[in-house]
Amino acid sequence: MRTKKTLWLGVLFMAIFCGFTANAQQRITVSGTVTDAETGQPLPGVTVVEQGTTNGTSADFDGNYSIDVASDAVLTFSSVGYAAQNIPVNGRTQIDLSLSVDSQQLDEVVIVGYGTQTSRKVTGAVQQIDSEQLADIPVPQVTQKLQGRLVGVQINQTTGKPGQGIQVRVRGQASILAGSDPLYVVDGFPIVGDISSINPDEIESISVLKDAASTSLYGSRAANGVVLITTKSGKTEQGGFSISYYGGVQTVPQKGRPDLMNGTEFAQFKKESYEDLGQPVPEPFQNPEQYGEGYNWYDAMLRTAPIQSLNINWNARGERSSVAVVAGVFQQEGVMINSDFKRYSLRANSKFKLNDQLDLGISVAPTYTIDNLPSSDGAFYATNVNAGIPGGLLTNAMQTWPILPYQNEDGTLPLTAWIPGISAFPTPNWYRAAKEIKNETKSMRVLGNVYLQYKPIDGLTLKTSINGDFGNSSFFNFSPSTVSTTFAALPPAIATSIRRESKYLSWLNENTVTYAKSFGDHNFEVLGGISYQKYEADNTQLYLSNFPDDRVRTIQSALNIDRTRSFNNINEWSLTSYFSRLNYDYNGKYLITLALRRDGSSRFGSNNRWGNFPSVSAGWVFSDEDFTESLDFMSFGKIRASYGIIGNNNIGNYTQYALVDNSLNAVFGNTIASGAGVTTLGNSNLGWERTKQLDIGLDLRFFDNRVEFIYDYYKKNTTDLLFNVDIPQESGFTNFNDNVGEIEFWGHEFAVISRNISNDNFTWTTNFNVAFNRNKVISLADGVDRIFNPGGAYTSITRPGEPLGQFWGLIHDGVYDNQAEFDASPRAVESEVGTVKFVDVNGDGVITFGNENDDRTVIGNPFPDYIFGLTNDFKYKNWDASIVISGSVGNDIAVTNDQGTTNLDGVFNVLRDVKDRWRSPENPGSGRYGKTTGATFMERDWFSSRFIEDGSYLTVKNITVGYSFPLRETSFLKRARLYGSIQQALVITGYRGVNPEISTTTQGQQANALALGYDWGAYPVPRTFTLGFNLSF
Amino acid sequence: MKKIITIVTLIAAGTFMSCSEDFLQLPPEDSLSQTIFFETQSDFEQAINATYAPLRDLHEVGAANFQGAWGMGELPSDNTYYKYNPNYRAVQDGESIADFYVNDGNGTITNKYTTNYLIIARANQILALIDEVEFDDSAVKDNVRGQAHFLRALAYFDLVQFYGSVPLHLVPVTGRDDAALPLSTPDAIYTQILSDVNEAIGLLPSKSAQEEGRATRGAAQMLLANIHMVQGNWSSAESVLTALVGSGEYDLLGNYADVFDINNKNSVESIFEVQFLEGTEGFASSFQYAWLPMPLTADQVAEITGVGNSQAANTEGFNIPTPDLLESYEDGDLRKTVSIDSIEVDGTFFPYIDKFWTPHSTPQITGSNWPVYRYSEALLFMAEAVNEQGRPGDAEQYLNAVRSRAGLTPITGVDQATMRQAIMDERRVELAFENKRWPDLVRTGMAQTVMSAFGDRVKANPQEYYFPEGFGPPAAAFTTIYETFPLPASEALLNPNF
Repeated sequence: MRTKKTLWLGVLFMAIFCGFTANAQQRITVSGTVTDAETGQPLPGVTVVEQGTTNGTSADFDGNYSIDVASDAVLTFSSVGYAAQNIPVNGRTQIDLSLSVDSQQLDEVVIVGYGTQTSRKVTGAVQQIDSEQLADIPVPQVTQKLQGRLVGVQINQTTGKPGQGIQVRVRGQASILAGSDPLYVVDGFPIVGDISSINPDEIESISVLKDAASTSLYGSRAANGVVLITTKSGKTEQGGFSISYYGGVQTVPQKGRPDLMNGTEFAQFKKESYEDLGQPVPEPFQNPEQYGEGYNWYDAMLRTAPIQSLNINWNARGERSSVAVVAGVFQQEGVMINSDFKRYSLRANSKFKLNDQLDLGISVAPTYTIDNLPSSDGAFYATNVNAGIPGGLLTNAMQTWPILPYQNEDGTLPLTAWIPGISAFPTPNWYRAAKEIKNETKSMRVLGNVYLQYKPIDGLTLKTSINGDFGNSSFFNFSPSTVSTTFAALPPAIATSIRRESKYLSWLNENTVTYAKSFGDHNFEVLGGISYQKYEADNTQLYLSNFPDDRVRTIQSALNIDRTRSFNNINEWSLTSYFSRLNYDYNGKYLITLALRRDGSSRFGSNNRWGNFPSVSAGWVFSDEDFTESLDFMSFGKIRASYGIIGNNNIGNYTQYALVDNSLNAVFGNTIASGAGVTTLGNSNLGWERTKQLDIGLDLRFFDNRVEFIYDYYKKNTTDLLFNVDIPQESGFTNFNDNVGEIEFWGHEFAVISRNISNDNFTWTTNFNVAFNRNKVISLADGVDRIFNPGGAYTSITRPGEPLGQFWGLIHDGVYDNQAEFDASPRAVESEVGTVKFVDVNGDGVITFGNENDDRTVIGNPFPDYIFGLTNDFKYKNWDASIVISGSVGNDIAVTNDQGTTNLDGVFNVLRDVKDRWRSPENPGSGRYGKTTGATFMERDWFSSRFIEDGSYLTVKNITVGYSFPLRETSFLKRARLYGSIQQALVITGYRGVNPEISTTTQGQQANALALGYDWGAYPVPRTFTLGFNLSF
Repeated sequence: MKKIITIVTLIAAGTFMSCSEDFLQLPPEDSLSQTIFFETQSDFEQAINATYAPLRDLHEVGAANFQGAWGMGELPSDNTYYKYNPNYRAVQDGESIADFYVNDGNGTITNKYTTNYLIIARANQILALIDEVEFDDSAVKDNVRGQAHFLRALAYFDLVQFYGSVPLHLVPVTGRDDAALPLSTPDAIYTQILSDVNEAIGLLPSKSAQEEGRATRGAAQMLLANIHMVQGNWSSAESVLTALVGSGEYDLLGNYADVFDINNKNSVESIFEVQFLEGTEGFASSFQYAWLPMPLTADQVAEITGVGNSQAANTEGFNIPTPDLLESYEDGDLRKTVSIDSIEVDGTFFPYIDKFWTPHSTPQITGSNWPVYRYSEALLFMAEAVNEQGRPGDAEQYLNAVRSRAGLTPITGVDQATMRQAIMDERRVELAFENKRWPDLVRTGMAQTVMSAFGDRVKANPQEYYFPEGFGPPAAAFTTIYETFPLPASEALLNPNF
């Protein structure tokens, strides 16, 4: 009743207001009923506006409206979620109308921070994707499904490990030491870590908040962008039950696999190396032909593997309650042997209407995942984190001599792959290692939420919620005696095992008040809130070694517990926040939003505990102005601008503290005495990284909204970067954590959504987006003019005035083909005829590497010139099809894996094109590789442009074709659809590796922003063929 | 209905009230932070223990330690050299020290510098805070303070001897602003060292009253004597050494070999030694392994180390005794075979240091301590101090005590110059490989002449100095004999005062 009264009050208000603005034309009263085109039911609340005026009204609960207008007026009927219609009055007094649901949802309801807005009124840079669009993509992680769909968001699959390896960067975000991952917010709850464990089928929609105005309500965690996830809730009145399933196979395409020497070629290569050295050729290499193809170790590590997913959805809505349940099973075997990923998940979201004013919501979502994956990624000398167990299994397999078997003819597995006295390094059988290493993580995660919402009077909403995110994981690694690391002794080695138990709890209490009120055309909405969040984590690791028997893997069977690798660590942080926002608009045409968040964090130093994060944004729907009336083809136009300050608090939990290390023990006589000393300097002024961001955007829609165009320009300046500034060690310390320096980011984003064809039988929609993201370092710390990639490799340089992490090395200039060329060219002390030749960049006549002012220069850029996505959706009668493309242009990749696979010393198997190396002035080869007999280290260890390749690509991420069976109205089935899909269908690239999105560290981990674009060898991304069906009852 | 509203209000109010700074105060639980450390006697006892810990790094070898203390204390001298391995060339740090063409990027030079400052920073932390804290036992407080002063003096003495002018940090550094100090002159540094060491002598208990392996009054006296010897304050040296010798706390062991016996750690002859412990806890030493005349097969390594599961050693051997040193042993010197042995590799015998090898069960894990100060050196210092005061006769008893244990005849009735040479010769063999030779050459002003002549011999006959046929030291070798080493480049980059 109350609502109705208010509505009438509103109409009255409008009527009064209009009275003042009405002109003296001939006026008539038009009335009618608005209905839903699909259901025929009356549509309440439809806005009816006389075009070109501020005169308008809205339909009542029964869809009836009445309005005084000029007799030749044009009426615009619009409602949230429906396509607006413009109807000329032509003197009629009765206009009945049915509105169709707008498939593109012109005035789509967009999930924004702490609420929703119609897309018309959004003044920030927000992009929303409904999960229906993503349903057919056969991958385990929702972020992976988003590839190619979001403008300005780079989503890279840096490794193909099942269930892992997706890197999301909003607007090229990068930080030197603080994290660059966006904040994920699930149903209003900022969760810890990423969302890889969440079943994508539980998700209703995803909103990505990109500019400061949209994100500033997340304050000190907002600088990397915010991804809002909304999960499914009970929606249909009748309730529904649906099942979706897909199953398929994954294979690694032949293109992109390393082109290595086969048995004969390798033996020939070794034979020639000995001959070139003038040494006798050892027996194993004397008859290369005997080996034929030999053994392809890389292929042996791979397999064709199944993948399947089953999801059951049930939802219902009653008078006073609604519920949605999603249960899912996902199983993926990896395309590398002995790797797999499984997920079992359940989510139940329920809402109860306790009375007219009070709502209660409860949701709970447990997920159980199991993944097993030996350390596949990284350089051949990688070792698993904090343990002496091998990593880089794929690279190691690649480098193993193809003349040696990974499997004996009788099916048994050799223990080693080396020839005593001839092989350089002790080499275990990597194939066997991959098969026999156990590296399993079992994780349980429960997300839960309870809220109470109270609406005491119209427009006022009070809400309090308690959210919990609980996780528990058990990691178990067992490296049996058959496994050893590169360069170490041959197996049998000492069997080792790691057991790690991790648990965490993050809880959030949030209390908000919102009040919405309109005074005539002046619409206000005010939000205020306060929240508390706390996180506690506990990790315990035991490192065990010396197992007498590989088959008994329990703790008590280990003879030794390595104390230096066993630990227990505790991590906690807490955050108190106050936030408020004011939305104001005048008639939906002039829009202003002000927001402010104040965060206090346990991570910040005691002198700098609180930070303020304000933003302001404004929008102008200029298409509502008179002067655009003549521009018939334009149906909507809006200019947006926003500015705000946001933070990045990923600075570590205890970075501000001067830590005392209590393991600095000493020995006196034969007694160990515990020792403790201050090992890091504290900084009680330490704070968040601060980003100021400006965004200017333009939203245009043409031809009755058939074509939509979105443009954004942004400029971000991140200052107070968390940086571990080196200080002289005369202080007793090596560095000091401080907030220093500045990085500038800017870019242009364009998106076009076009409904090319839309009729009853055939629709075709195209969605194209492209983003140009740039960054530049403005300054580093005082006295610091450059920093290099972590790990001491000096191959990526970051300097003021340049983008982050530029590849830094010598320029490869072929080989000194002959004495004349050698004599005429600049050279290094170690150079010889037939060794690698570099460009003398500093012009001093000699080639130097490794000192100040040597010949190194910038030789590549890991950042793309632009990234793009292209999606086409087709519907023809009962058939549907879609094709998703994503791409990147202009980025370079450093194939550091070549250090091993082009090693001229003959210690490893190498790429086939090493055949074309320099052997003599008469036989100089292709110029890419020097001789095997001397100073090979320059070619291997002096990082040069020979390792750099263009990483541009266009990937057809997904092709899906589906058919929906025509069903009788009376059928118990409401929908039955069958589809087939190919994921990673086609990769068009000049890059020779299997995955141009690669970027990992030597240890096979996610790369730091200062060290992007390295190919150290990684799990290949498979091509997946699936068949699936959706059934709704 | 009303109830629910009340509950909601209460929850909201409750949380609002909990809003205090306490919620945001979360110091680490799995490690101590400075805010709660340095508050009890036990904290300071742990802190002083941690101040000893870098001494192990300073004397060990390894990827992070480079050549250790011997890399600059023995290797630049005419006692040892390296055995060039053409197949293993990642050795510029060590070779350039032995051949006198170091640059400031040298890892050994950097390691000695930064590790000493680690000791200094930890000592500073203790000395800055200890006075404010009540101890259960005031004797413990004196003892801890005494050890801190001793260790700081020892570290600065090492720095001033090897680098000359260095920054003088005496209070804990708190941030970027006070991290880099200007260089202090050797005089200023020696003044501070003397003050610290005298403080330590006053505070430290004698050896018999101190826990085994820690700094003692005797160790501080020996350090003071060493400083006087370097500065040529002979009478001051004599007086402090008289106190040391007269304390009755020290004596020579019966045999030279006993000194290095694993069962005689911290023996009556020991004044101060760096403590190592065999085992996997991370306190073991392995410096002897760097001195193998590599490359060696696993069997050859096993022959030297006595460890059954030895692995082949394929890098380059350092601290190889020179022919000059082998020559300098008098006939019948019992120390020669204790100190040095040799192994046949491809028909050639190569000498190696033998005196530090102790029985152990796992390769690279030995329990051998490093002798910093021994009583025999105190006797030789005493001999030198009285001889330099023109009393060669008084020096005889001290010198001959050392000689007689080595099975050598006494030296008697010689003049001051002869006695001076005899003492130096005695120091060379008695203290061989104990990082005394190079500082001795420097403090006696002999470095230039001795090392130039040595360099000429190496260059004239590289094969005598373990170079394979066709190889020799680089042209730059031995062209400039310097007495201090450059300050590390990595520090110069960060300290604008360098």
